[in-house]
Amino acid sequence: MAARVAVIRFPGSNCDMDAVQAIRTLKGARADLVWHEDKAVSDYDAVVVPGGFSFGDYLRAGAIAAKSPAMERIRKAADQGLPVLGICNGFQILIEAGLLPGALLRNSTLRFVCRWTALRVDSDSTSFTRRMRKGQVLHIPIAHNEGRYYAPKGDLARLSREGLVVLRYCDEDGVPSASANPTGTSDNIAAICNRAGNVMGLMPHPERGTEPLLSPSGSDDGALIFRSMLEAA
Amino acid sequence: MGLTGEEAARIRRLLGREPNETEWAIFDAEWSEHSSYKSSKGLLRRFPTKGKRVLLGPGYDAGVVDVGGGYAVTLHIESHNHPSAVDPYGGASTGIGGVLRDIISVGSRPIALVDVLRFGDPERSGHSKWLFRNVVRGIADYGNCVGVPTIAGDIEFDESFERNCLVDVACVGLARKGSVILGEARHPGDLLVLVGGSTGRDGVGGAAFASKSLAKGPESERKSVQVPDPFMKKLLIDAILEVAEAGLIRGMKDLGGGGLSTALSEVASKGGCGVDVELGRVQVREPGMGPTEVMTSESQERMLLLLDPKKAERVARTLDKYEVPHQVIGRVTGGNSMKLRWNGKVVVDLPAKAVAEAPLIPRKRGPAPRQARSPAMPKTPPLGESLLSLLSSPNISSRRWVYEQYDHEVGLRTVAKPGEADASVLRLPNGAGLAVKADGNSRHSSLDPRKGGAGCVAEACRNVAAVGGEPIAMVDHLQFGDPSDPEVYRQFVETVEGMAGYCEGVGLPVVGGKVSFYNEDVGSGRAIKPSPIAMVVGLIPALKKRASSSFSDGESVIAVGETRPELGGSEYFERVLGVVGGTVPAADPRADSRAYKAVAKLVRTGVAASAHDCSKGGFGVAVAEMCTRNSIGATIDLGLLPGGALSDPEALFSESHGRFLLSTRNPVRAKSALRRAGVPSAVVGKVGGSHLSFERGRKRVARVSVDSVTGSWEEPLGRLMG
Amino acid sequence: MEISLPVKSTFRVKVVISNRPGSGDPEGETIYRDLVSKSGFRDVKGIRTGKFLSVEVEAPDRESARKVVSRMCDELRIYNPAAHSLTVEA
Repeated sequence: MAARVAVIRFPGSNCDMDAVQAIRTLKGARADLVWHEDKAVSDYDAVVVPGGFSFGDYLRAGAIAAKSPAMERIRKAADQGLPVLGICNGFQILIEAGLLPGALLRNSTLRFVCRWTALRVDSDSTSFTRRMRKGQVLHIPIAHNEGRYYAPKGDLARLSREGLVVLRYCDEDGVPSASANPTGTSDNIAAICNRAGNVMGLMPHPERGTEPLLSPSGSDDGALIFRSMLEAA
Repeated sequence: MGLTGEEAARIRRLLGREPNETEWAIFDAEWSEHSSYKSSKGLLRRFPTKGKRVLLGPGYDAGVVDVGGGYAVTLHIESHNHPSAVDPYGGASTGIGGVLRDIISVGSRPIALVDVLRFGDPERSGHSKWLFRNVVRGIADYGNCVGVPTIAGDIEFDESFERNCLVDVACVGLARKGSVILGEARHPGDLLVLVGGSTGRDGVGGAAFASKSLAKGPESERKSVQVPDPFMKKLLIDAILEVAEAGLIRGMKDLGGGGLSTALSEVASKGGCGVDVELGRVQVREPGMGPTEVMTSESQERMLLLLDPKKAERVARTLDKYEVPHQVIGRVTGGNSMKLRWNGKVVVDLPAKAVAEAPLIPRKRGPAPRQARSPAMPKTPPLGESLLSLLSSPNISSRRWVYEQYDHEVGLRTVAKPGEADASVLRLPNGAGLAVKADGNSRHSSLDPRKGGAGCVAEACRNVAAVGGEPIAMVDHLQFGDPSDPEVYRQFVETVEGMAGYCEGVGLPVVGGKVSFYNEDVGSGRAIKPSPIAMVVGLIPALKKRASSSFSDGESVIAVGETRPELGGSEYFERVLGVVGGTVPAADPRADSRAYKAVAKLVRTGVAASAHDCSKGGFGVAVAEMCTRNSIGATIDLGLLPGGALSDPEALFSESHGRFLLSTRNPVRAKSALRRAGVPSAVVGKVGGSHLSFERGRKRVARVSVDSVTGSWEEPLGRLMG
Repeated sequence: MEISLPVKSTFRVKVVISNRPGSGDPEGETIYRDLVSKSGFRDVKGIRTGKFLSVEVEAPDRESARKVVSRMCDELRIYNPAAHSLTVEA
């Protein structure tokens, strides 16, 4: 049976349709938009919190959405072990809601940046990377203003140690160098997950990287993330 | 008030009485140049507006073009020049807000934004840098938040824009063919519903403001700043498109310049009906606002819906879901009167037609200036040095600092992205590609408005052809100084004639446009250089590959089209030699048409691996730009360029129209296709190595390393803007 | 010989930049509508946002500290008078 994916739509989400479209093109997937006030989240096998500007990013990116009724239901889904994926603004929301640790601050350039990036897979045991291998380099674009991951030093070390850093910005050879870091994010972190590996937040937009026609490198790496998620669901 | 004595007298005659304060304010907004086109309307009729794909031409909120498979794209362009000169961040943001509303109001989904920016010289002016930085940020913050990708644009710096920058925004929308909604009140009894943000004092008198020159001092500036709210706009887009797609809207009109006063009078006069409105029902943001302010407020993020009363309840439910405020403010009536009440009492009773149809103003056109003699050529510096200087010009260097601040990917449609090819390409749901580009050249236009007008259309067409598109429609934006100045008006007339003639020649219909006058320097009162802008869209029948404008090792280089000695207004003349004057490039629509067709086909079939048009900086700069992405050199023989005898600087830097550069692994096939199409072309060199060399037979003309090319071109804008 | 140096001390001057009164404040309105009023804080009746700067100044007295900061805000376009209003408190 096809895995059912809920793509949560907040007022101001703008990558919601893109996520639905990208998931629907995959085999064995059904994706629906679910309005943030609807109760339907529990009927699904996986949850995607998409990118965009929920509530205009006013106050702080993700801060208002984190208090929405949808969040309690998403939290429950996460507790039950369902895959919960936060993309860009979705990552910001999961952090603001406390499902993932740390904070996402304004890019060190103080500018929005839209660019294709190379990403190194640092953990292949999560619900979103099980179809990849450690060290693999993915090509997926970013587009955000507040994506500089921050956590106190000790916490950063712990995240790395426990294998909770899932993706890091890197150069074409897979080296997470300073010049490959587009936002000044700590330790080149682009994605982290919870201990159970079923909740992941990432700044890059995998839904934009699922078709070779749309990718400057001709890849469909973004689809790997969704395929992994569907397999885990 | 901006009405002339003559206009005021005419209004009194029309009504047979003295209008009251609110009525005067309505006429003032509606008869402003900005709303009425009273100086330009007659002339704009020269544009060809019909074509087999044109579903809706000029005169509506957006032009509508059939792209096949049951789909249509909608096009609109606007500027927000004066507000951006005062409040660059807010002005640019609200400019986007405005153009989006036009696209929504015909019932289409905005799928792309295009920005054309004209600013003073950032190498000399801190003020221009401040303006530019904040305008780009304003565009980025608004466009990114509403989720419409900004995919293309055009940037020019020239000191004539120092105090009057130009911020033009165009938008492309997508709709099902047959579902287009018009802003016409045709059904008496329909409800008039005001949707979106509340009405405040911001922007009161804005249309009249846009029709004044900035030179008139700071007092008028104060009132006209509007506060952007992209979040409310996003909700508006989602909510309105949901009800529009469900077929629940009978008519729709955005509230832009002139606010309610323009929206109401236009829906009534266009639909041949009247309106009866209770202004007291408009939700105001501040206490103490009277009917005059409510009518002329230009508060952002508002739309007027015309609804069948039977469907109003369903519309209200959807608007409530998105928490978008809405109020029924009145009804469509039979007859033709625009009746406005304030807490029950009739405060305005005007014939809507009279309000919407301002009398035209005949303007005087000055004589063409005497043909200037060819400027004396100073001693020319080494050509390699000149090439690097051109590449580092803010007018030519990489635009990465700008386009990376724009989300150009959202929507999963952007196939050719900014910086990758000459035009951006959007994937349409019918499997076709839509190539989009806007262009203008104010230096050419200032020296020769007619050639400059034709030239900006030609350049946009070339860029579209270079990604494989066949030009199918255009919208234009014409920006000039004060039209009562005969010299300015001459520039305007010749520009329109040049553009219209070229469009006619290449068979390109104009489906919409805007005119913006009174663009002049606050200090000196000097007008900006004439700045016509053309945005052209082209169709790529079956989109299968990504266009490129970058060389790869081992390819042959083909020059398409003739290079002529046309250095007038070129970047080489003005930046390198400091010379103003000379022969401006002339565009030949017939020859160009053949080239567009042939080049587009070579690109689509992949015979040409990459393509790039020659424009600012000429052939030399075009070759250099194609070297940058893959860091690969080329060796070119200038003696082989199609065209007559040319000096080295002319061969390298002349900005003649109708030219492309192709790179290919199959030069024989490419050449023979071009020959069959009657397009002059020649294989002029080969890609490879770490240097870019220009030669003439055995003689070396210029040689620069690819590293120096990339170094000169890549960073200047980022460095300037910091 | 006696030299009298002007005595300077350090003041902290608060600068608040907000949208001009009467113009909208979408951020404040959204925080109020979508977060605060939905979360049961019924006594809160409105929110306006702004940008806050805390400026350290050396000056002979409080009033001249305030004046220096006011002038700085004007000259350096720290706010845009066309769009914003400014309050400076020493």
